Amino acid sequence: MLSESARMTTAAEARFRINAPNSQPRTIKVIALDAACADVVKQLAQARWNRATFLMASAFAAPARKDAPFSMSGWLSDLAGRTQDLVDEIEAADLVVMVSAAGENAAAASVIGEACRARKVMTTALILHSESKSDEALSKTLSFLRPYASMLVVANGEDYIESMLIALRA
Amino acid sequence: MLTREQNDLLTASGPGTPIGRLFRSYWLPALLASELPENECPPVRVKLLSERLLAWRDTQGRYSLIDEFCAHRGTSLWVGRNEENGLRCPYHGWKYDWTGQCVEVPSEAEESGFCQKIKLKSYPLVKRGDVLWTYMGPAEQQPPLPEFEFATVPSNQSYISKRLQECNWLQALEGGIDSSHTSWLHRGDLERDPLHRGSKGNTYNLQDSRPYFEVVESPGGLMIGARRNAEGGKYYWRITQWIMPCVSMIAPRADHPAGGHFWIPIDDENCWVWNWDYHAARPLHQEEVEAMKNGGGRHVIYEPGNTFRAQANKDNDFLIDRAAQKAGLTYSGIAGFAMQDSGIQELMGPVVDRSKENLVSTDNGIIMARHRLMRAAKALLEKGARPPGADPEHQRVRAASIVLPPDQPFKDAASEELKVRPGLKHASV
Repeated sequence: MLSESARMTTAAEARFRINAPNSQPRTIKVIALDAACADVVKQLAQARWNRATFLMASAFAAPARKDAPFSMSGWLSDLAGRTQDLVDEIEAADLVVMVSAAGENAAAASVIGEACRARKVMTTALILHSESKSDEALSKTLSFLRPYASMLVVANGEDYIESMLIALRA
Repeated sequence: MLTREQNDLLTASGPGTPIGRLFRSYWLPALLASELPENECPPVRVKLLSERLLAWRDTQGRYSLIDEFCAHRGTSLWVGRNEENGLRCPYHGWKYDWTGQCVEVPSEAEESGFCQKIKLKSYPLVKRGDVLWTYMGPAEQQPPLPEFEFATVPSNQSYISKRLQECNWLQALEGGIDSSHTSWLHRGDLERDPLHRGSKGNTYNLQDSRPYFEVVESPGGLMIGARRNAEGGKYYWRITQWIMPCVSMIAPRADHPAGGHFWIPIDDENCWVWNWDYHAARPLHQEEVEAMKNGGGRHVIYEPGNTFRAQANKDNDFLIDRAAQKAGLTYSGIAGFAMQDSGIQELMGPVVDRSKENLVSTDNGIIMARHRLMRAAKALLEKGARPPGADPEHQRVRAASIVLPPDQPFKDAASEELKVRPGLKHASV
């Protein structure tokens, strides 16, 4: 007589698996940390997503005045250029994906990463690497991101971000 | 998650399928050399990539891998007589040489030349290390022979086994590159298994069940680094190598042998799991070999009958021991590293439906592997591009476990340790 495991692992039995949603949509914030990735993120935003929002770490596009008071609200902007409050964005997120290009200054990761840590939001960092960039350039960007990302991916092509977001049901 | 179409694409490896074509770009392990131990020994049935084949060794010691069935009436040549440089079908006496060429059709006049018109499909079968390798793709695109280090060291420095796994190859592979399961599924065994115990790395593993991960594309596949805290602000890294399409090299522990796996599709619902252990700098100790033969580490004890099927299998509910599970001796109730992986993966069903899964960010190794497989299959179909992992240079790599300063990319800081260094031991903690 077949064991229960043998009976339950057939292709025929697979037909009886419950066909109902087993998760709720996750809110994923995708943030371009540098100008080099802004276009990539803008392009991605054109696709249809469940609950993904695309943002820029805008402080680096327009540095704050030296005498201006520090404000977290200055760190993010949406694709239309409107300033978004970092804390509000992070609090609404299940996962924050930070995207940077090898060799770029990804210093914004520290503020975003600390905010995520404080609110216990998972972070993934994605570095876009290419053959034209040196290992030193990659190391520089990696050193910015490593302390603030629980998962760090070095990808050789922009197409990976879309694959990753689809895989994560973004 | 994957769409159903993507899932079908990645899991089907028969002739004509995109992933089937991809697999047919590589040398693949087909048999243990010990399965054809001498000239004119009995032939062995082999199913690979959904093709029924027959392996045999002729009078001169030439290895042959041909269509299993006689071209005359379609009986299995497994019952064939291995005689005088050929395999003769016992039904009507048709005889084939090692290339699959028919050399005798007794019922036809020799002068008719009829037998020259009959040839079975055949693939090259080559011994390298203690493995017989085959290449099932177009002859003009055959890559150089494999250069995996385990297959190039002297025989007394390696031990290789294979095991039938009754599920699709991809879910088995994905278990091999999913480093985060070790701290759970295998936690009871790290300090008990003779091929794992005594490693400082085990302490790091057990102290930190939420490692940080870094996934880096390599020329031949991926490097997946799992990072845990070590003393003095340093990091303990376990770096797994995935070589396309189906090889993983596991970071070693202490001075134990280093190991890895191939996951080779038999058909879409079964695969061969190949398991190797080797030490680059010394012969394996007798105790190590005994432990492997007794199902230690990544190996299993077989059920009786030389089937390469594990003694614990789905027919006996993997010999699950709920008392051991409750007591924390094993986390799943299934004993042994290999069967823990195999049991978990077989219980997902023959081909898991990935449209229902909910991956998390620590699954990026799996996501990236799927992405690269699909990208390579597409490039092969559309441009005929040789996929990553077929180049011997991509295969001359090692996994490593190593403690590094906190500010260095593992890829750079351990660049030497991640390459084959003949005669030198692995970087291992």
